[in-house]
This record gives sequence, C-alpha cells and structure tokens, in this order.
Amino acid sequence: MNNKQTKKSPPVPPQTNFVKILHGLIIISLFIMIGSGLQIYNATPVFGGKDGLPFPKWMTLGGWLAGGRNWHFGTMWVFAFTLLIYGIYIFLTQRWKRKFVSGQDLKALKVGQNPKRRIYAWHRIIYTGIIPVLIMAIVSGLAMYKPAQFHWLSWLFIDWQTLRTIHFLTVPISLLFVFVHIIIGIRAGGLRLTRSMFQP
Amino acid sequence: MNRLKLPSHLNRRQAIQLLGMSSIGYLLNSCSSEFTAKVGDLTEPLNQSFGELLVKPQLLIPEFAKSAIDPKALLLNSYDGTPEIVGGAFLKENRDKYRLTIDGEVKFPMELNLNALKQLPQTSIIMQHVCVEGWAAIVQWGGVRLRDLAKMVQPKDSARYVLFQSADKYTESWDLASALHPQTILADRMNGEILPDDNGAPLRLATPIKLGYKLSKWVTKVSFVSQIPKGGKGYWEEQGYEWFGGI
Repeated sequence: MNNKQTKKSPPVPPQTNFVKILHGLIIISLFIMIGSGLQIYNATPVFGGKDGLPFPKWMTLGGWLAGGRNWHFGTMWVFAFTLLIYGIYIFLTQRWKRKFVSGQDLKALKVGQNPKRRIYAWHRIIYTGIIPVLIMAIVSGLAMYKPAQFHWLSWLFIDWQTLRTIHFLTVPISLLFVFVHIIIGIRAGGLRLTRSMFQP
Repeated sequence: MNRLKLPSHLNRRQAIQLLGMSSIGYLLNSCSSEFTAKVGDLTEPLNQSFGELLVKPQLLIPEFAKSAIDPKALLLNSYDGTPEIVGGAFLKENRDKYRLTIDGEVKFPMELNLNALKQLPQTSIIMQHVCVEGWAAIVQWGGVRLRDLAKMVQPKDSARYVLFQSADKYTESWDLASALHPQTILADRMNGEILPDDNGAPLRLATPIKLGYKLSKWVTKVSFVSQIPKGGKGYWEEQGYEWFGGI
C-alpha cells in the first residue's frame, strides 16, 4: 500500500550459526519423525483401530512397520537431544529473556498501533508456542516407548488410547505450525528473516 | 500494508533452497530398504542398551486393576494361524500328551507335563500387553514364573540367553535378565480361565516388560544358551523387528 513502508527493511535479527544448525536439525528430524510415525500409525490406526483409515504410502517413511520403527527410534535421539541442547543453550545465553514471547508482545497486540510490531508479536507467540508441543511429542512418545518401565509417565496420560491420541495430535499441530511459522515469518521480516535462519 | 510480499521470481539460491526443503520428504521416502535397515543397525545398539539399563529384577511393574481387564482389546496375532498341537486342535483330552522341554546349558534338563507344572508355585499378573503394531490390551495371565523353572534346571554360568520354541515353529530369543524377571511367566490361564487355543494353549509366555511378538504362544521348548545361533534371533527379529523389544 505504502511504498515507503514496504521498502523500509525491518531489522533482521542476527542468528548464530549454532542456532541455525539446531534449527536445521530440528526441521530434518521432525520430518523424519512424522514420516516414520505415520508408518507406525498405519499398523493400527489411532482412529478406528484395524478398520481405521491409513495414511497414504507417500507420506510414510520406512516401507513397513519395522522400517518405520528403525527411523523413528533412531531419529528420536537426534530430535530429543537437539531440543535439549537448544534448551540448555537458551538458558545459558539468557536468550529466553529476550528471544521469546513476553508481556511486551502481548501489550503490543492489545494496545499497539504499529502493524509491524503486531506481526512481530504474533511471530514470537507462534515460535514460542511450538516448544511445548515438541516437548509433549517427546514426553508422550517416551511414555509409549517404555510404558512399563516408565509406568509413572504413562499413567499421566490416563490410558493407552488417550496416550496414542495425544502423541498423534502433535503431528497435525507441528505441521500447522510449520506452515504458519513460514508465512508469519515472511510477513514479519520478509524473506531476509527466513534467509537469516538458513544461510551460513 | 502487511500484505504477504513474495518475490515475483526466485533467484537461483532461493530455488535451490526451496527445492532442497520440499524434496526432503520425497528423498526419504524413496530410500531403499537397505538404507532403512542400516539406520536400524546404527541406532539399535543404543536403543538396546537403553532398554537393558531399564530392566531391573527388583523393580516390579505395577499391576492394573481387575476392572481394567479388556478381553476384546486383545487381538489375535500369529504368523501362521493356530497350530495343530499334539495332533488336532489342542483339546482338553490331549493336554496329558503335552510336554515342556527345558534344556541347553543347564545342570538338570527336564521334560515337564502340565501336572508337574501345576505343582510349582502359581502366580498371576494383570498387565498391559503392548503389540508392536500399536495396540495394547490389559490382560490377566496366570501360570508359573520362568525363574522358578530356572531354579529347577539350574542354568550354568555360561547361559546368557533363552530360546523359546513353539508348536507352530515360531521361535524367540531373550536376554537372560528379562527371562528371569519375577514377572515373566509361562501362562496357562488368561483372565482367570484356562488359556484358549488361539491365545497359545497350553502354555505361552507373558511379561509386562516386552512387546507382544516376544511373548511366544504354544511354547514347547525352553533352551538356556550362551549364544544365539545364526538365524535364531526369532521369527520377526530375523525379518527386521528389534531383538530386545523391551517396553
């Protein structure tokens, strides 16, 4: 609408290479976890059991149940430890204080007039919000991976069907997040912001 | 304002980036089964160590309430249908022909009939039976502890694994620690009733600490061994399922 405004580049947060690598590892391992997870899903669909609808083969990874399990239980270490290392990193560098959603963002949404700031607030809300979902994917997955040895963890999820449902729901939520995160990221900082997370 | 601003055309770098990201899924999907097997070979030792670390004989898995038993949830799986054990489906009148052989690296190999098994201390457990396919069912199994049988035959120090043979030629192999876990039993009863043919009569394995494919039905032979023979990891394990199968 306003040429002056669109030409003015928003500040692009400098990303450290360390964060770029972790971000890349999470993307790759997340998609491997989803593909192999849907392969495992198809052995007994969460919804409808043996009569339930399976996912199409192109969405799955591993070829058959054992192959899907190979990928899933191999990649889970990469996925979980990347998140853990990231958690330690944001704690040690105090990034959690300024890089994630804060009262400032909520204030910007409530009373703020600057549309750029509002989009940026949404951007921060969304990428902060995915973190508990990814942690939930790991916790519910662990509860299903070792339901006997970690019975205290499985017990938190009420019963097997509830546990499977919660674990599965992290898939559509993550995919929706990926989609929205890309769009809002571009809206908040243009492709420059997107590039800043991928380029070395 | 704030309209999504996408470039009208992509430069080479962007095109490569997009191509790279969108093709990850397709690439992975077309990975050969050999590559998938390699991923398993590479990571399974770690997963196995993790599983072994968790198995402690003194740590019992809590049982479920009797009201939680769900007979309909227990699906019937076997690779070749219910075997015709001891000539014909395992009818009650054939039960006295059944023998359980326990041999291998033990001091006192034995053959036991069902009456002899009944003389041993009986136990039962209400546990969650978890299938590798993703379903689970809460079942009550009753029978004798495998560790009580081991006490009778006395495995030698060299014994590290336990092999199970079934009437339908199904085979399994276990680590000794899981086999001697106090909640691992050879069951002849299910949900308080005599074990049905389809569920493994007269004797099947049950434990809360392993996946369903480790829990052989129609068990006829238990062998304590120092090494798993080549090709003898188990019916499904030889096709790609993980060997340890601990849960």
